[in-house]
Amino acid sequence: MGCFFSKKSRRKSPVKEPGQTAPKQYSWDKREKVDPKDFMLTGVKDATVGRLPGKLNGQQFVIQDCENCNIFVFDHSATVTIDDCVNCRIVLGPVKGSVFFRDCKDIKCVVACQQFRTRDCKKMDVFLCCATQPIIESSTSMKFGCFQYYYPDLAFHFKDAGLSIFNNNWSNIHDFTPVSGETNWSLLPEDAAVLEYVPLPDSESEFKSVRISTEVNRSIVPMTKGGRRKESEESCLFVFFAGDYTTANARKLIDETTAKGYTLIQTKEVSMRPEDVNRVFQNNKTIFVPTGPVVALELNGDGVVEACRSIANEIFNGTKVFVSENKSSASRDVDNFFNFADMQMGL
Amino acid sequence: SLFQGLLSILRKLKSTPDQEVRILLLGLDNGGKTTLLKQLASEDISHITPTQGFNIKSVQSQGFKLNVWDIGGQRKIRPYWRNYFENTDLLIYVIDSADRKRFEETGQELAELLDEEKLSGVPVLIFANKQDLLTAAPASEIAEGLNLHTIRDRVWQIQSCSALTGEGVQDGMNWVCKSVNAKRK
Repeated sequence: MGCFFSKKSRRKSPVKEPGQTAPKQYSWDKREKVDPKDFMLTGVKDATVGRLPGKLNGQQFVIQDCENCNIFVFDHSATVTIDDCVNCRIVLGPVKGSVFFRDCKDIKCVVACQQFRTRDCKKMDVFLCCATQPIIESSTSMKFGCFQYYYPDLAFHFKDAGLSIFNNNWSNIHDFTPVSGETNWSLLPEDAAVLEYVPLPDSESEFKSVRISTEVNRSIVPMTKGGRRKESEESCLFVFFAGDYTTANARKLIDETTAKGYTLIQTKEVSMRPEDVNRVFQNNKTIFVPTGPVVALELNGDGVVEACRSIANEIFNGTKVFVSENKSSASRDVDNFFNFADMQMGL
Repeated sequence: SLFQGLLSILRKLKSTPDQEVRILLLGLDNGGKTTLLKQLASEDISHITPTQGFNIKSVQSQGFKLNVWDIGGQRKIRPYWRNYFENTDLLIYVIDSADRKRFEETGQELAELLDEEKLSGVPVLIFANKQDLLTAAPASEIAEGLNLHTIRDRVWQIQSCSALTGEGVQDGMNWVCKSVNAKRK
């Protein structure tokens, strides 16, 4: 039986078996018709294109057949597919669902999304914030680094897309087509500067009004070491339990520890029930009832536990926090917590 | 005795194996199969990871116990789909209605499934998913492109839905339960 698609015009006839009543109307039957072209970029060459904040507003976006373009999508979207693009530099604002690259080559991009997928791609450099494990298939020379970007509405776009800046699995990629003796993916150099991969929009373009920064300390998503080799054997788990100021507090902690030369390995934002708290923090005498999702951070460096404990005393006195007691218990704390978080976020 | 007889009938009614239904959930990668699975189980769908192997859930629906097998759909692992064909009562095939670039590919995969010996006669529900997205093709267009009207060897149905919002999902599952009932008679 045939299976390819005809280009006939859309027939309005309902699909039903003999004897069935006519199909009911759904919200998509009743919604205002929009021109799909407004949400697609097709066949653009040698240009700077994209969407300004507010122009997508959570809708789907499709990019296809573009060559030598700088593409800036400064808004949140539902899902993005990128097909048959060559030699492009792309920035994708937070995507609620999946970002899927197919048949693309020579791409340098900055992406934030729930799922990251590629198939049949070659030579991609990706600065990524991904809520789940990124996957690649039949793709080679894929390089990944931690998302590093700022523009004024970006924090709101993360919220609109339902993405947490603390849930970023950028460094552990699953390859569906591994080749023995080779690796299809690797990590970008730790000091890779985003601007050297994805330049700022041309000053004459429609994006000149967007105040972008690619500096590490301005990035909406904290820079994490992820799977890179740790500098020290000493780590510390720091957990914020309170609801409202969690994000601000976590950022403050990152600033304080970074200034002292410590590194941030990983972060997680996850909901915990009181029984989870009891189980994960077994030896902790004070039991906190979380009033919202907790934010956990693993910091690393010689003397980091002591540094974190004094920061907790000086700056976060009165805030509901957990800090590792010593170097050996810290290693257990980190494993216990992030194993728990992985379980919660898997199926 | 009459009492013993009544007891044994009651025992049969409570745990009759007739009421268990094995459902296979297939379709291309990124189609929304796992989102659909979690939606059926009334679970949180805001944090779903690409399926690397498969997921199974048992869901109660209209007196049936549905054992739903959600299998990863990447091209590389589609050859493993056949490992799950045996004893399937119903096939649910999920299509991303808003991924026009892959309509031909998904049509091809569906056609091959309907040609499979081990799936012969198995009712198929096609979910035209992601109707919440702007460029989604309506179910009628998808049915036409897939030539569903040429399916003669089994009962089938196409149902538009959004696994994300849940709209249309229950309507599809109503057809599932109806078809299972019909087959059992």
